[in-house]
Amino acid sequence: MKIAWALLRKDLTTEFRSRDRLIAMLVFSLLVIVVFQFAWPPMEPAETLRFAPGVLWVTYLFSAVIGLGRTFVMELENDAMTALALAPGTRGWIFAGKAASTWILISVVQAMTALAFTLFFRVDLSARVLDSALIVALANVSICSVGTLLSAMSVRSRFRDVLLPVLLIPTLIPVLTAAVQGSAATFAGEALPFDALQLLIVIAGIYSILGFLLFEYVLDE
Amino acid sequence: MSPLLLQGTGIEKRFGHVPALRGIDFKIEAGEAVSILGANGAGKSTLLRILAGLSRPSRGNFQALRINPSEQTSLRPARNLHGRPLRRDALRAEIGYVGHATLVYGELTARENLAFAVRLVGQTPKRDQIDTSLSEVGLMEFADRRVGGFSRGMAQRLSIARAIVHDPQFLLLDEPFTGLDESSANRLSNQLAALRGGERTLILVTHDPRRAIELSDRALILHRGKIRATPGQSRQSDEATNASGAFELTALRETLERLSNRGDPVEEGGPANRFREIPS
Repeated sequence: MKIAWALLRKDLTTEFRSRDRLIAMLVFSLLVIVVFQFAWPPMEPAETLRFAPGVLWVTYLFSAVIGLGRTFVMELENDAMTALALAPGTRGWIFAGKAASTWILISVVQAMTALAFTLFFRVDLSARVLDSALIVALANVSICSVGTLLSAMSVRSRFRDVLLPVLLIPTLIPVLTAAVQGSAATFAGEALPFDALQLLIVIAGIYSILGFLLFEYVLDE
Repeated sequence: MSPLLLQGTGIEKRFGHVPALRGIDFKIEAGEAVSILGANGAGKSTLLRILAGLSRPSRGNFQALRINPSEQTSLRPARNLHGRPLRRDALRAEIGYVGHATLVYGELTARENLAFAVRLVGQTPKRDQIDTSLSEVGLMEFADRRVGGFSRGMAQRLSIARAIVHDPQFLLLDEPFTGLDESSANRLSNQLAALRGGERTLILVTHDPRRAIELSDRALILHRGKIRATPGQSRQSDEATNASGAFELTALRETLERLSNRGDPVEEGGPANRFREIPS
């Protein structure tokens, strides 16, 4: 557990100083919103709200892929990955620390992206904002869990830039489906759909446990 | 806590169909300084990675044994506080590792890098502990500077401080002189020599026989995944490592050259015969 905290603290410190991942993810997300702004046909705010969950989650997902792709790149510099592999104890805590730091970064970028969306499209996403945040937080647990695991697996590959999205996106389709369903309901001011919430909780649990257990073997050789 | 001893029997390692280690037996006592020598591709780094717990042998047995304090001659598998055999992951807490890469983060200061290294082994960093390690490698005045601005030599010295900051029992060094100029390499060699002694075991992987002589008591010479010679003054009694003869530079160089040129065990007759050769 101490190792997870140490890694979370280290990752946030280095990210705060370099801002590599944060800027890359944020710029990409804003560009996608701008592109949609130009591609979008004129429509009423109520109609825009119907499409907002899909647009936002596509943006969230692809910006997360950019962030996850760089999760272990900093560990390759000076072979710090070996130092992590030398840490005693269960290596699952290294996974937990990495996934937690990525969760925080992705959440910050998503909050800014949602704010930019409301400004560009002049819609109000604040109805049931806490429910919306819950959906995003749960979906991010799944994205960061499976993403951290796959990022560690692909980081030493020559094709890591292609490999990560090819492996990651299919595993996140159920998460995306439930998240879009949940966000659509909250943006419309309705109660959280229980089946979407249930699915997000179950997938988050499965992916987190799998990531924790499998990370031992990912880091081994 | 009594000192640990590393023992490997019949260690083999394969990468797909390619054998990297082909049946290696060794025993490394607490407090020894041992060099692992050999040409590129001999299996030196693979053996070190197995010793560090970074890689699992494909076949063979590698274990950490603890000398029974009540009976110096008997050995027992090292156990943790709960009496269970010491697991590979727990053994990693006893290891300090220096590679050709520095294992440090450029965005962090020297002090922050060491604090992170201490936290990674599950300890709480103390200012004294970090300052002592930085002083030992002559980097105290750069403690609060970001490592990204360090020269290669300074970063490598920090790498040593990183390896010793949690006071490990084993110091594993994988070609630590790579990329250093002669004066930086000499300075590093002096600092490594100062770390010897007591119960700390030093294991150095190198292809430079001069550094091996400077820093170790004996050597394991690897060739194509097998130990071919064990020169040095061994304190051990088993046949495989009971080497006789001087641990001397010319002979060491000749042994390596012969193995490199011929790929055979060294023949009787030459200066290298001062080493006991192990038949292939």
